[in-house]
Amino acid sequence: MANAFVAAFEILSFGAIIVLIVLGLGIIASMMGIFNFAQGEFVLLGAYITYLAYAKGLPIWAGMVAAPFVVGALGFVLEALIIRRFYAAPIVAMLGTYALGLIIRESVRGLIGGFYLTVPEPIGGSIDIGAMHISAWRFTIIVITLLVMAGCYLLLSRTNFGLRMRATLENPSLARASGISTPLMYGATFAFGSALAGLAGALIVPVFSLYADLGLRFLIQGFVAVMVGGVGSFIGPVAGAGVIGTLSAALPWVMAPVVADVLVFVLAIVFIKFRPQGLIAGKGV
Amino acid sequence: MGAVKRAIPAEIGGEADVVMDSGGTARRASARKVLPIVEGVVLVAALLAPLLLQDYLTVFATRVIILALFALSFDLVWGYAGIMSFGQALFFGSAGYGVALLARDLDITNIFLVLPAGTIIGLTFALLLGGFLLLGRHPSSVIFVSLGTLTGSYAADRLARGWYYLGGQNGIPSIAPMSLGTYEFTEGPAFYYLVLGILVVVYLLCRFLVRSQFGLALAGLRENEQRIAFFGYKAQHLKAIIFTIGGGVAGLAGSLYAFHEGFVWPNMVGVVVSTQVVLYVLFGGSGTLIGAVIGAVIVEGVSFWLSDNYRDIWPIILGLLLLLVILFRPLGLISFVLGERERVGSFGARAKESVKENRDAP
Repeated sequence: MANAFVAAFEILSFGAIIVLIVLGLGIIASMMGIFNFAQGEFVLLGAYITYLAYAKGLPIWAGMVAAPFVVGALGFVLEALIIRRFYAAPIVAMLGTYALGLIIRESVRGLIGGFYLTVPEPIGGSIDIGAMHISAWRFTIIVITLLVMAGCYLLLSRTNFGLRMRATLENPSLARASGISTPLMYGATFAFGSALAGLAGALIVPVFSLYADLGLRFLIQGFVAVMVGGVGSFIGPVAGAGVIGTLSAALPWVMAPVVADVLVFVLAIVFIKFRPQGLIAGKGV
Repeated sequence: MGAVKRAIPAEIGGEADVVMDSGGTARRASARKVLPIVEGVVLVAALLAPLLLQDYLTVFATRVIILALFALSFDLVWGYAGIMSFGQALFFGSAGYGVALLARDLDITNIFLVLPAGTIIGLTFALLLGGFLLLGRHPSSVIFVSLGTLTGSYAADRLARGWYYLGGQNGIPSIAPMSLGTYEFTEGPAFYYLVLGILVVVYLLCRFLVRSQFGLALAGLRENEQRIAFFGYKAQHLKAIIFTIGGGVAGLAGSLYAFHEGFVWPNMVGVVVSTQVVLYVLFGGSGTLIGAVIGAVIVEGVSFWLSDNYRDIWPIILGLLLLLVILFRPLGLISFVLGERERVGSFGARAKESVKENRDAP
């Protein structure tokens, strides 16, 4: 019983981490049609900023708060300078963002060297429920993920900003005719997606420690999750991330980890092949 | 991709084009052929290289030639058929692992057995993956194919890392050298000329292929897939065929690489090598066979030269250069000397100016 509970918690917390990482990726992919290969590096940057705050003696949470804003601002600048040129061509966008990611990743590698740097958890210790102990920080991540998910959903579906964003992404020319500044909305969307990646990086760095290939590890899982969930909506990628995250955390409990690792990808690709529209088809929130 | 072809060639450093296909091609009106000259220069340089280079550089040059062969395979798939294969290393690496296992477990190192075996392994994997990703009732989206190949390569990497039989993280070390009778091919000029000979033969075969009727259909596929389908071609089948051929060439390169380096390791099937080959072709110029070769030589050469002194910042410079090439020279470095007309090539008497569009249209 206790074991099953711990397993369930592990699975849930890994699922939450994947959802957190995929949120930004999904928003950029769904709303802008760009598969951002630099997203993993935005996660890495968020983690790096948190580490930097910790290394400079600032409280860790200060770094975690700063990370999404800094990464979001960087995303806004990159969108205006570079990403903007790629909208017409999805494959070129992949290559271009890959190049961007390469630059960021190698710069961070140059800064931290080949090390694995650890950042302590801002909320340490464990939560005890009877005889069971679960990590307080992982629990916090689950809570924050739920809050961020709800926040994003409300922002996109209930606010004026979200409405304009969706309008821009669904029909740019009509949106322009209605007086919405579409370049600004694209910039804001990309910045928002990057900021979410930065937040994800900041939150997961105590769990995974900081190393240059941190982002790469999640990137492909993230892409697969977006495709499984369905590009075009906000809910789709989140659902896909839930499925992929849960599967890749749950399967190693019942079979050899190597087989489980590969099986998740194979299942996902087969699923996408036969249901290209993903779990949740359609546009909108 | 953008449907509008700019009539005026954009200057470098001028306003960048959004679309990959129209940025600054120096179009030459004259019928002067630049391509054979470039090919001839590269061949002569390659033939003379071992005479001028020191021994350890010949070993390096051999590796570059093998990687150029690998780049050729990606160029066939992306440059000619417009299939973004982000997992080309899957075929390269699995062939490498295949021949390494042949040498380790069955003591087969005969060149006439291992090279065909590697090619067949590459062909088979490409046929399976390509058939699955590309064929079917509904044409697959470009995004699906590129992410599917990427995922395939990543999954293979994870499998190779975790599978004890394949040596896990360490791969398979100290593979016996390739042999011909009692002669053993070890690193050095003999291996270099062997590899160069194979590259030339494969290059000529590819050149024949892309200049044939099949190549014409492929070029059409890259320019406008829908139109080719309306003409009655089975676009998906064409794609699967060229993807398989590309896999075979990658397999051949992979088996040569395994024997040349003497070991195989999980990175060889993974994302790192897959993206490496994309870099070569983008740098050199996709859609021209020689561009892929030149790209591999330049990227590896500069990387070798810089990595002694600037090991840390070299990948950053590479990223910046790649970004600049994508933004301002989408047709690669070869487009500095090669005109659009020659790049597309002429087929029989119907040498027409090509109007490039919709490479990525679903």
